[in-house]
Amino acid sequence: MKVFFTLIFILLSYNAFADEQAEAIFAQLTPSLYQIKLIDKASGEKSSIGSGFQISEDGIIATNYHVISSYARHPEKYRIEYLDHQGNTDEMDLVSVDVINDLALVKRTVTNAMPYFQISDEKPIKGEQLFALGNPHDLGMIVVPGTYNGLKKESFNERIHFTGSINSGMSGGPVVNNKEKVVGINVATSGNQIGFLVPHDKLVTLFNIYKKQSENVSTLVTHDLIKQQISSQLIANQNKLMDALLNNTWQSKELAGKAIIPIIDVPFIRCWGDSNADKSDAIIEAVVANCTLDENTFIAAHFFTGNIEIEFSYMRAKDLSDNKFYHLYQKQISHAGAGNVASKDDVTEYQCRHDLITPESSANTTKAMNNKSILCTRAYKDYVGLFDVLYLSASIDKNQQGLVSHFTLAGVNQKNALAFTSKFMEAISWK
Amino acid sequence: MEVINKSQAFDTSSETSIDSLIEDNTTSLADNNTPTIPGEIIIEEISRNHKLLHRHCLQQNNINIGRDYHNDIILTDPYICPKHLSFTFADGVWHVKDNDSVNGSLIEHIKSKKVKHELQAKPQVINNGDVISLGKSQLRILFKNHQVADTIPYSPFEYLIDLIRNPVAVVMSIALFMLIAAYNTYLNQSTEINISQLLVNAFTKGLLYSIWPASVALISHLTKNDPRTLAQIGISFTFFIVMWMAELVTEIAEFNSASNNLVPIIGTILSIILAFSLFWLNNYIGFQTTAKRRIIIALGFTALLFGGDYLIQYSNQPEFDPRPHYNSTIMAPSYLIAPSNNVERFINESNTLFEQANQAAQDSD
Repeated sequence: MKVFFTLIFILLSYNAFADEQAEAIFAQLTPSLYQIKLIDKASGEKSSIGSGFQISEDGIIATNYHVISSYARHPEKYRIEYLDHQGNTDEMDLVSVDVINDLALVKRTVTNAMPYFQISDEKPIKGEQLFALGNPHDLGMIVVPGTYNGLKKESFNERIHFTGSINSGMSGGPVVNNKEKVVGINVATSGNQIGFLVPHDKLVTLFNIYKKQSENVSTLVTHDLIKQQISSQLIANQNKLMDALLNNTWQSKELAGKAIIPIIDVPFIRCWGDSNADKSDAIIEAVVANCTLDENTFIAAHFFTGNIEIEFSYMRAKDLSDNKFYHLYQKQISHAGAGNVASKDDVTEYQCRHDLITPESSANTTKAMNNKSILCTRAYKDYVGLFDVLYLSASIDKNQQGLVSHFTLAGVNQKNALAFTSKFMEAISWK
Repeated sequence: MEVINKSQAFDTSSETSIDSLIEDNTTSLADNNTPTIPGEIIIEEISRNHKLLHRHCLQQNNINIGRDYHNDIILTDPYICPKHLSFTFADGVWHVKDNDSVNGSLIEHIKSKKVKHELQAKPQVINNGDVISLGKSQLRILFKNHQVADTIPYSPFEYLIDLIRNPVAVVMSIALFMLIAAYNTYLNQSTEINISQLLVNAFTKGLLYSIWPASVALISHLTKNDPRTLAQIGISFTFFIVMWMAELVTEIAEFNSASNNLVPIIGTILSIILAFSLFWLNNYIGFQTTAKRRIIIALGFTALLFGGDYLIQYSNQPEFDPRPHYNSTIMAPSYLIAPSNNVERFINESNTLFEQANQAAQDSD
């Protein structure tokens, strides 16, 4: 009983300490916190809001790229404004972006040197208490205590798993440790106290590059430069991702005991499976396995890129004629859609070609699989050299069974897309 | 003044020359026949598009046409006067005059196409083949020596049509059509299916598709042609079956070929040709008309069908389609004839795809 009381007491005092600390942190840091608003020039009203924090005495403010993305894509339509703790508001310039890590740097005009956030030089430790700051739903600046829970494993680009409420509008706000140093930036939430942060070192890198550039050339950052920056970041990121995938030795796996499919054994690709074995009235037995990389790089409200989908479905007729089986089987491949969202301004329409293909790796063996293969691609309009790719293939050599193999890649270059397609096609066979 | 005089002189001379010509003709005719025989004339009542409604064969020197009951030919058209027209035969020549009718009469000489002259109260010479319009009716004047068109020999189509309109053949083509319809339903059904469902479906489809030949037959009946319903049904269903077979052949060709080839284009051309042939045959069976008209009508229907289809597709097309469009035809291995390619060649050939996409991106800027 005594032990129990002690525990309660410790918890209470800990909480009281945390509250006090939060208050202190908030009071100290609030002059360097901003609400970032995107104002639609025509209507004069805000079109999106987020949070930001000053990271230099000369007025550089860090926020999320997705907060100011509309401005980055259409600078003629919007202007960026800040709102500080005293209610002052003024226009700002966009100076640098990092679309892969969803970061942006904007600059306000300052007359005197101003207080700013210190960026931490060390990573937090698991379980460490952190404080997320921001302005959720335009309700005013708040501080949310939470816990650091390491890096999200399934993410190709690092994200911190933060246990604490992060809500929309807090995007771009800083997360500090109890030394008031920034360890992350609010970026996303998946509800129920699960939040995601961009690690502080990404911001340090972006800021250092910016500082180096502004020392060399002190010219104004034009819209074309931002576009170029996004383009080179997307190209570099897809190279990094595709290198990781193509250099990985793909594991061969059986599907339904009949087909051999490749499994890319990297932590950021997650696989799921399903079958209709429980449905006794189904006239076709189906087994499905799919793997995805849920890396949705935000470029604009209707333009995401960077994700990968891979899907295999094995089908076997229970008691059907060949013609009927193939008729129903064809329906499985006739309505494939893009893996990522993109609009008319962002991409071209898909171009497709198809052929009958037997992979060399298993040709002339009992494993050989003859396929009808379809490859489609669409090009990015603003970021030359990047494509969305869709591949779809159906086996056509067994009377009563078939294997559909399918993948989509978003935002890859031609060389990587074809290398991936080639490797994928060669990795599939009958058992 | 002199000029006018001259022209008048020319006019009169030309008139006399024509008159003398006609007179020459008639004298020669009169020589062959006994002069006591009265004039013979055939007056046809025709519809607006020159279809025969009634034919009158008359042997008398005076003929009156009008709405009242004294007339030799009584026309009920309310726009015609009670005593509208009079024909007279004298010296081997027929003359016509309008009896000061309210709405007048127009004469169209067979040689001067589409040019109509107002008929006067003064008698005017009438020639073989002339068409007179009075009120809302038309009369065609013919003489016994009128040249008729050459006899049309039976074309091979007639034998084909005779074969197809045989009741046994008609029943068989409908039965085959329904069988195919039922089979297609069976193929597309992804759940268990029973026979009665298939039969009902096939029967409905058969009824639905027989609307076309039935309406063609009805229209030809309404336009005073021989409807030949059995022949229409037989030929239509035969063509529906042929079209389905053409579709199957195209599908097999598509399955066996790589992209960027002519198969889809050939398939479309094939179906256009088939549709045109069906419309042409429908027309041939159901309507008496010239070969040129028949081709124009068949072309018109084909254009309407495919053009309309294209327009519907075009108008339904979104401004930007985020989905890919590809040929997904796959068939059972027994339909596979073509050899397979290897991955390396496929990948090499796919380079052009990326170039095309890049080009499209640059073009849109």
